[in-house]
Amino acid sequence: MIDFPHIEALADISPAWPVIIGGLIAAAVPHHLVRKVLALLAPVLALVLWFNPVTIGTYGIIEFGGFTLETFRYDNLSRIWSFVFILAAFINGLYGLHERDRLADASGLIYSGAGLGAVFAGDLLSLFFFWELTAISSVFLIWGARNNAAYKAGLRYLGIHILSGVLLLAGAVIRASETGSWAFGEFWGEGMQGDQIAAGIGLDSLGGWLIFLAFGIKCAFPFMHNWLQDAYPKATITGAVVLSAFTTKLAVYALARGYAGTDILIYIGAIMTAFPVFFAVVENDLRKVLAYSLNNQLGFMVVGIGVGTELALNGAAAHAFVHIIYKALLFMSMGAVLLRAGTVKASELGGLFKSMPATSFFCLIGAASISAFPLFSGFVAKALTLSAVAYEASHGHPELIVIWLVLVFASAGVLEHSGIKIPYFAFFAHDRGLRVREAPANMLIAMGLAALLCVFLGVNYGVLYTLVPFPEVAAQYEPYTFDHIVGQMQLLIAAMFAFTFLVRMGWYPDEKRSINLDFDWVYRRFGDGAARWGWAMFDRLSAAITNLIAIARDRFGNRMFEAFSPMGALSRDIPSGLLAIWTSALLAIVLLIAYIAR
Amino acid sequence: MSDPDNKKDELVHPLAKPFLWLDAKWLKSSMIWVFGILTLVFIAADFLHTRHDYIHLAEIPGFYAYWGFGAFVLAVMIGWFVVRPLLERPEDYWDEEGDHD
Repeated sequence: MIDFPHIEALADISPAWPVIIGGLIAAAVPHHLVRKVLALLAPVLALVLWFNPVTIGTYGIIEFGGFTLETFRYDNLSRIWSFVFILAAFINGLYGLHERDRLADASGLIYSGAGLGAVFAGDLLSLFFFWELTAISSVFLIWGARNNAAYKAGLRYLGIHILSGVLLLAGAVIRASETGSWAFGEFWGEGMQGDQIAAGIGLDSLGGWLIFLAFGIKCAFPFMHNWLQDAYPKATITGAVVLSAFTTKLAVYALARGYAGTDILIYIGAIMTAFPVFFAVVENDLRKVLAYSLNNQLGFMVVGIGVGTELALNGAAAHAFVHIIYKALLFMSMGAVLLRAGTVKASELGGLFKSMPATSFFCLIGAASISAFPLFSGFVAKALTLSAVAYEASHGHPELIVIWLVLVFASAGVLEHSGIKIPYFAFFAHDRGLRVREAPANMLIAMGLAALLCVFLGVNYGVLYTLVPFPEVAAQYEPYTFDHIVGQMQLLIAAMFAFTFLVRMGWYPDEKRSINLDFDWVYRRFGDGAARWGWAMFDRLSAAITNLIAIARDRFGNRMFEAFSPMGALSRDIPSGLLAIWTSALLAIVLLIAYIAR
Repeated sequence: MSDPDNKKDELVHPLAKPFLWLDAKWLKSSMIWVFGILTLVFIAADFLHTRHDYIHLAEIPGFYAYWGFGAFVLAVMIGWFVVRPLLERPEDYWDEEGDHD
């Protein structure tokens, strides 16, 4: 292990700050060269600060308004997440070097820094601050596409994520009022057992449920997932790459911190792995296919957190690590296609390997990684989660066999949409005669770096296993056993055989220029319709009430006029006899009231 | 008159030229045999060496191959025959609200 020099003066500075500050400076600097230097330098500075703490512990404590804010909790869980976030920020910076968009440069950095800050947050108030900052800063990566669809998708995205933040704050306040603590989960230190970290927040109170819901929205739980498929494909080319790394993985981190071992997550995660597969099969927009694929991958991590054993949590963390890299690689390759070909619609693509051979090659590496082929990063990470589920299923939890079968099904599904569909329809399939230029050099370097990491981690998996929350457990795990390799190859090769078989028989659906509705129809069409109808009804009701009031007022006014006007009833000559009767009656009433009141 | 196919080939990236065989019809038509034979080879491996798994069901020779094939076909069939007929809409479906996918 390399010993890095420790700088005491920097010990309290969270790696998030140089990235956020870099973003703020980028927002003010008009010259793109300075912004590009910042985009690369800020993650490097963050990495220096990441290496700086000599021991795990809580640093960067700020006393503010009677609250103790922990801005730099460096423990076994935050360590791996923050490291891959810094790596992603650097690769994203490289990928976007050719762009000249100040808004994108600034928001990308602030968003990455906010993600890092949230990972290092030791208390729920700090978490809330960075949680909301990720939402607000990232929306500009969607709006940066500068079209009406992106603007509207960004608004929906922002609304949903602000709601997540509000739920988080409400949950935190309720929890603090009940327990007197703002702590965000436990400290994951050396020698900690899975049982000790289980349910850091838990679902035993309303506050716990609200926070769970907040995390669930950001993690794209089923029925809360559509912001992902809605917004990411409409983001800018670089924006989609940046977005793919942070938001959802931050939510996975938060779930691991707060809800490890919570059973419901196993079932939620299993559903997440399975349902996107069916949507991805018939989706024409390849960046949207990747968004569904992202949802499916999150499911594996959520299942691992739900199982909550050391092996399963290692699996979730390792999966998040490698996933950020290969998913970014796949988004980068599709971004390069979008830049050069002007579309990522599968129905309009094909044969691009002739024009973009390097991009095709990198995409294939990303596809092999996400499909978990041996020697690629997905293999060594996904194996941990699947083994953990299988182990628990065979040791007292037979109900998990179904979950395990779903995960294996979803593994074949991943191969379908990300392993085959993405590279096949973009770069191979029918040659549409598109002859475009290869991606810009900086994009190729970024993709090359990500591809290198996919292979490096797949081969040198020991490096990854030292970073996971329970390295001593991971050290005992061997992914490259004969049984595991043969089993995985059976799954993948048979699935590829199924693909060729279906294509040969003409049973593979053609790519069509169409869209498929998802749950967002409920609020985009039904909810929107209901709101418009409600508004129209309110308009009509208020008009009717106004009308009624006007009629009543007119009638009252007329009556009063009839009574008191010079021509009214009270101005007329009244016979004195009648007046005497009235006076007597009134006097009688007054006497009666006076008598009763006594 | 210049041949448009030749013109297209001139625009092929130099790095891609050694790999143009990837687009050959014989390769596309033979892939089913390649993967079919490979699948059989990996299933055969189970008969030569007993695979151990936490889940006993998975110890059936060729289990992962059957599950992988079945899962792939099921995913495609549900996508094609359930999701698409029920949920497919024209590309401009969201345009009414000035939005689109």
